[in-house]
Amino acid sequence: MTGTLFPLTFASEEVRLLTGIVIGFLFGFVLERGGFGNARKLAAQFYLNDMTVFKVMFTAILVAMVGLFSLSALGLADLSLMWINPTFIPAQAVGGFLLGVGFIMSGLCPGTAVVSMVSGRIDAWVTFLGIVLGIALFTLTVDWLPGLGALYAAGSGEVSLLHEVFGVPAMAMVVGIVAVATLAFVGAEKVEAFFQGRRPPVELTPPARPRLKLAVGGSLAVVALAVLAVSGPRPEMPPVRMASVAPLSLAQAIIEREPGILVLDLRSDPEGEKGIPGAAPAAGEEGALEILGVTPPRTVVVVYDESGILTEVPLGWPRSLEYRFLEGGMEGWREDVLTPVALWGNTLEEREWVRKQNQIAAFFSGAAVQASPVAAPPPAMSAGGGAPQRRAGGC
Amino acid sequence: MKAKPYWNPYLAGVALGLVLLSAYLVAGSGLGATALPKRSLALVGDQVAPEWTAQNTMLKGYVAGGANPMRNWLVFEVVGVVLGGFLGALSAGRLATKVEKGPSISVRGRLAYALAGGVIMGFAAALAKGCTSGQALSGGAVLATGSWIFMLMVFGGGYAVAYFVRRQWT
Repeated sequence: MTGTLFPLTFASEEVRLLTGIVIGFLFGFVLERGGFGNARKLAAQFYLNDMTVFKVMFTAILVAMVGLFSLSALGLADLSLMWINPTFIPAQAVGGFLLGVGFIMSGLCPGTAVVSMVSGRIDAWVTFLGIVLGIALFTLTVDWLPGLGALYAAGSGEVSLLHEVFGVPAMAMVVGIVAVATLAFVGAEKVEAFFQGRRPPVELTPPARPRLKLAVGGSLAVVALAVLAVSGPRPEMPPVRMASVAPLSLAQAIIEREPGILVLDLRSDPEGEKGIPGAAPAAGEEGALEILGVTPPRTVVVVYDESGILTEVPLGWPRSLEYRFLEGGMEGWREDVLTPVALWGNTLEEREWVRKQNQIAAFFSGAAVQASPVAAPPPAMSAGGGAPQRRAGGC
Repeated sequence: MKAKPYWNPYLAGVALGLVLLSAYLVAGSGLGATALPKRSLALVGDQVAPEWTAQNTMLKGYVAGGANPMRNWLVFEVVGVVLGGFLGALSAGRLATKVEKGPSISVRGRLAYALAGGVIMGFAAALAKGCTSGQALSGGAVLATGSWIFMLMVFGGGYAVAYFVRRQWT
């Protein structure tokens, strides 16, 4: 476990599912009371005489954003354990545009359609029927229309966050968005006032309370700035390049049983072909983490894969260890260490070098080599359960 | 009973934000709406044509490994929305069987727009892997890049077409 309080862990999945009903209940209740069960009120957003959609939605985004990133900066919440929408820019751009078109035609979006349905609105029932038909239409055509399948799958599919894109600390991004949104609220009120001269707001809209937006925006900005001051900007750690080690030097070190060296086999199929004697087979990056977690500090970890392409320390690997990559990976080892050199050379020095080289080759191609410089660490003990994974989610 | 006025939008926004925050903190997930219809389709598909469903790009993830597609936090969350929306409307005196529309369009015309708009939205929410709640609101709060693009495009699409369907509302 990572030790953060949030997201909460539950004794059983059933208990977690029940929290969905409670939180969904509050979601539906607040949407209804905010006016989101009324298609005319929602549609008025696009005729500029009632900007409730913008105000409610952005205030909610600001509150949740400041809360989440503050708790994360204070070490209370772990965002990496939460489900965050992966990035598929083409599908999200086209889908977003189409959803906006459907929104103004029906006056509702999927979530508000549910609220409007249970408020008794017939247009919402028809809209929801349309939504089901639309999802079915996509489901039936996505594997049949080649362009549609390609559009659906295009993009990285990775989690990308705005502050990473802009290269600023998360809390700075949060403070910036709070400031811009608060200014946008002021602008929205002005636009609204102008267009209400032509079209009155939808009935039941409460009288404006001009100072409220500044109070909300201001207090969020204060919270975010306070957290920023307490936690300090934490720039992303740049990738660390590993130094390299030549196959022959590693071979020498293994023969001489130099202490404090761990050889880590990162090939995808370490069982398939015999690797470097004494190397610990790491089944993927998670397996490597388990081994590294029980390796004493300041051990020199020599990693190798098939051809030596891994040259940067992967994120999350303990920084207390020293990392080297084997030049040329397993291929380099085969060529330099395992292949005997044909006897040649004129000078004494050259002959001596060749002789040594072939001794090394004989040592490693020879039958029994059991000694390893650092005993392969015991199988890592995991404290119950596998590694935490991002939870599946979706809309 | 006379209907109560709606909440002030900024207070409603703070309340909605706290609900969204609690969803992330409690369940590790944002809010959503289209999970219920999507996963219901997967359930039906799994009964009617299990092999086809297991290979369909849209549905295969919901039934992978023999999973029950309805055993999902977002499905339970939408059930909660049904209950909460109903009690919200009931307690505010807003329960009414009627069609919301502007004065200059017929009921039939309004329902035709509602159906067409719904089909487009369902298609769009399936394509974009989320709707206004799941992408714009939830993804927006965690600063997901694609969700912000989605949100800007929703407003773009709405404003681009609003003029042509104004007969419905004004």
